[in-house]
Amino acid sequence: MKQWSLLLWLYALLVVGLPLAGLFNAFLYSVGLAGPLATGFTARYWQQLPGETSLLASLGFSLYVAVVSVGLAIAIALFLVLRHQAALRRRPFPTLLYVPLLFPSLVMAFYLFQLLSGSGWLARMAYQLHLIQSPDGFPELIQDGAGIGILLAQVGLAFPFFTLLFQSLYVDARLDDLRSLTRTLGASGWQFNRRVAIPILIRRAAPTLVLYGVAVLGAYDIPLLLGRNYPQMLSLFITTKLQRFDLSDLPMGYLIGCLFTLVLMAVIYVTTRWTQRHAL
Amino acid sequence: MPSDQSKPVQDAERLAALPDAGPRNPEPAGFLRRSILAGGLLLLFGLPFVLLLLLALGQYWRFPDVLPPVYALDALTRVVSADSALATGFLLSLLIATVVAVVSTAGGFVVARAIAGASRPDRWVTLSYLPYALPPVLLAVLIQPYFIRLHLSGSLAGVVLGLLLITIPFAALFFRSFWGEQAKQYEQLSRTLGCTQVQAFRWVLLPLARPLLITCLFQTFLIAWFDFGLTNYLSVGKVQTLTVQVFIYVGEANSRLAAVASLLLLIPPALLLWVNRKAIVRRVF
Amino acid sequence: MNLVRLILFSTLLCTACSTSEQRDPATILNQSWAQIEQAGKDQPVTLLMWLGDPYINDYMNKYVKPEVRKRYGIDLQISGGQGAQIVQTLAAEREAGQPSQLDMAWINGETFYQLRQIDGLLGPVTEKMPNARFIDFTNPFIGVDFQQPVNGMEVPWGNVQLAFIYDSQKVAQPPRSFAELPAYVKAHPGQFTIPNEFTGMTILKSWMIALSGDPKLFQGKFREDVYEKWSGAVFRQINELKPYFWKRGETFPEQLSTLHQLFANGEVAFTFSNNDAEVDNKVNLGFFPKTARAYVPAPGTIQNSHYMGIIRNAQHPEAAMLVANFLISPEAQLKKMDPTVWGDHTVLAINKLPADYQPRFNTLPTRRYAPKRDAIQGLAFQEPAPEYMVRLYKDFRTKVIEANEN
Repeated sequence: MKQWSLLLWLYALLVVGLPLAGLFNAFLYSVGLAGPLATGFTARYWQQLPGETSLLASLGFSLYVAVVSVGLAIAIALFLVLRHQAALRRRPFPTLLYVPLLFPSLVMAFYLFQLLSGSGWLARMAYQLHLIQSPDGFPELIQDGAGIGILLAQVGLAFPFFTLLFQSLYVDARLDDLRSLTRTLGASGWQFNRRVAIPILIRRAAPTLVLYGVAVLGAYDIPLLLGRNYPQMLSLFITTKLQRFDLSDLPMGYLIGCLFTLVLMAVIYVTTRWTQRHAL
Repeated sequence: MPSDQSKPVQDAERLAALPDAGPRNPEPAGFLRRSILAGGLLLLFGLPFVLLLLLALGQYWRFPDVLPPVYALDALTRVVSADSALATGFLLSLLIATVVAVVSTAGGFVVARAIAGASRPDRWVTLSYLPYALPPVLLAVLIQPYFIRLHLSGSLAGVVLGLLLITIPFAALFFRSFWGEQAKQYEQLSRTLGCTQVQAFRWVLLPLARPLLITCLFQTFLIAWFDFGLTNYLSVGKVQTLTVQVFIYVGEANSRLAAVASLLLLIPPALLLWVNRKAIVRRVF
Repeated sequence: MNLVRLILFSTLLCTACSTSEQRDPATILNQSWAQIEQAGKDQPVTLLMWLGDPYINDYMNKYVKPEVRKRYGIDLQISGGQGAQIVQTLAAEREAGQPSQLDMAWINGETFYQLRQIDGLLGPVTEKMPNARFIDFTNPFIGVDFQQPVNGMEVPWGNVQLAFIYDSQKVAQPPRSFAELPAYVKAHPGQFTIPNEFTGMTILKSWMIALSGDPKLFQGKFREDVYEKWSGAVFRQINELKPYFWKRGETFPEQLSTLHQLFANGEVAFTFSNNDAEVDNKVNLGFFPKTARAYVPAPGTIQNSHYMGIIRNAQHPEAAMLVANFLISPEAQLKKMDPTVWGDHTVLAINKLPADYQPRFNTLPTRRYAPKRDAIQGLAFQEPAPEYMVRLYKDFRTKVIEANEN
């Protein structure tokens, strides 16, 4: 199959070659061999890396947001697919669930800001209902320490997509037939869900779920509007270094960007290998 | 992630122990439950449109007014008329998103087949994730030097290529599950029965993949339609799609204009979904 | 995997691409204005600028674009972008040895500083331009940008001053000076914050100069001792006031637009603008309440100018110079200064203008919600060297945002 391998090489050149070449460039920046202020090889930026303490906070916070938001969205989607299977097949659900896919993350963030801030729409309703006296009295839902605003935005965007995904896998894997079969064999609905449906759905969807988690990890617009300055999500952290006023920050920005990408690659590699080994 | 999902699932299970409305025999209880669920989702997804519309039309609207004190069309007319570029931006967006959707869906479909047939498919799959390991803005910054050398910087072709970097792997990964044993067997079967490779694709595999193809077209269209960072960076601000114009308002200006701009961005794909909902939705299920 | 081979191949492919010929800046600048006019006619010009304000966009699209087309046949294309993006794009283009996709850019002091570092600007250009004779280069707020003499490397376009904006309905007596600010914030908790971006840093700089009581300390080159002493004083005050800030100072708006929204929604009582006349524009749009007012606290705030830079490797430098020259014509500057159009203060010295223009500048419709220009001219500080901004940025993060001494 010669033409297939030629195609794959073309694919690799475009999709893998270009970003890798870019990463290589970023590496050159980080050792002072490229960039507007490059002065020749230096290990200075790599040596300074352990001093970037806020990087760890950034990394931890990003992981927390990615894991919790994707986890919650999976839970909601599984609940809808396994619990409301009959409803999901009827109008208006198939169309309804597509609506959030139309929301770019910046618009979602802007909307939640206007809805949930201390002077937002919900707070105004709470005031009219005499629940609060001033914007201060409204619970902190955005720009809060736990990242609730970011999580709400991410879950709101993710769960309809996951529901559609699980639903199509559910139909594809003929889980309805399997469910009837296990019922006849005396298993409870819970046993079926736990032992059969959830493992099948999660494993089949794993690559997409990982992909989504990685996208959340690298999200920019949502934390920009709904997050705090500290800890920042990684994408913001890197962009701040790359796009603010200090050109001497560029190498460190590229260095962290480079490492971030490599770490994500490793995460993806491990998970894809894992799902392939445990594939059904 | 199991720890995060176990509790809701248990709740779901407890609810599942209740008398079940079977998939194909609606009962009053099922109808009510479905209505509540539908109402909830409708509220959740409809509220943004209401709030954005109020923000766009309401003047001098502040805490604690639940509704704006004054309504005016000025923000809308200002955004629409300030830039006659909006109309061209809309067409440009449509063009780019359509080209990207078609090329990447077709490309991804074929690449997924090639990956399925490769000797080490897992490695190709891992590599396909690479563009996702980079946040889009970082990806744009990193590949810009090469785009400049290839004379693609600041051009429409450059923007399309940049977007394909993201959407082709997306489509390839999307179609990976399609090219399982079953599809391969179908392909082999049709080849054994005397089809050429092209015929097997045209008459057997494409119809088989049709629902997936439509979903993938829609998804890749949306990725391209909504992209701001990559498009704006690689085109050096020159390719002003609707999204680029709108994002500038949302990110920089005031909330009234941002609301108008957001609605402008949401309405075209919403119409697309509404008009094509049969094609997009029905065939998936 | 043959990753290494792949990288090498793609790198080779890219570097193998031809390097286009570059035009020598000296020969461009050696032309007479008549030659420049001849060469620049009927060409396209790409201008990179911030596009977030509908008033500014209208001014460019409905006035400047048709005018330069009418006068010179120039097709002005405006693309969106600013600051670091300009710098990174130009640096990448220069490394690649390619002519630039940009011809001119709207820049501010910190971008000017960065572009000088990478030698990205064509110049000196102003001495070529006939309309530059009206510009008051002796005015330190115009002829000096962040303590760097402009020296013709960028064309002044407009002049603005940092102003505090407050809601006169909620705030009867705003703090009239930086000295009154701490007591005010303590008495009105949750109403005040500082955006963690350009405008916020300008507030910190003004505050620093106010505390020192001696603006001269901040003129000239960056001084470590001056910075350490007075930035320390500002950060001490802010950290003391943090519990009384919006959200108890646990976070700060990352963008000015966010702070504007909080102000418009009525959540905070103050916002800021680098343009003293912006409040008029925002009230007219029905975004800020009609009770919003702008003022400059004593002893003053930073006033600076914004500029047009011509890109060194531009493909149409002559046409870009024609556009820049038009932008500083009395006609274009008068139009821009009208608060109903934009409200950006002129960089021209009104007494140098042709006699018929002088009264027209002096009788422009006045600002309704912003302070009069004459009233705040005495409250203007020069922009300190760019290093102050870079350092404040870093230290505001480490010493205020990330500090948890409580």
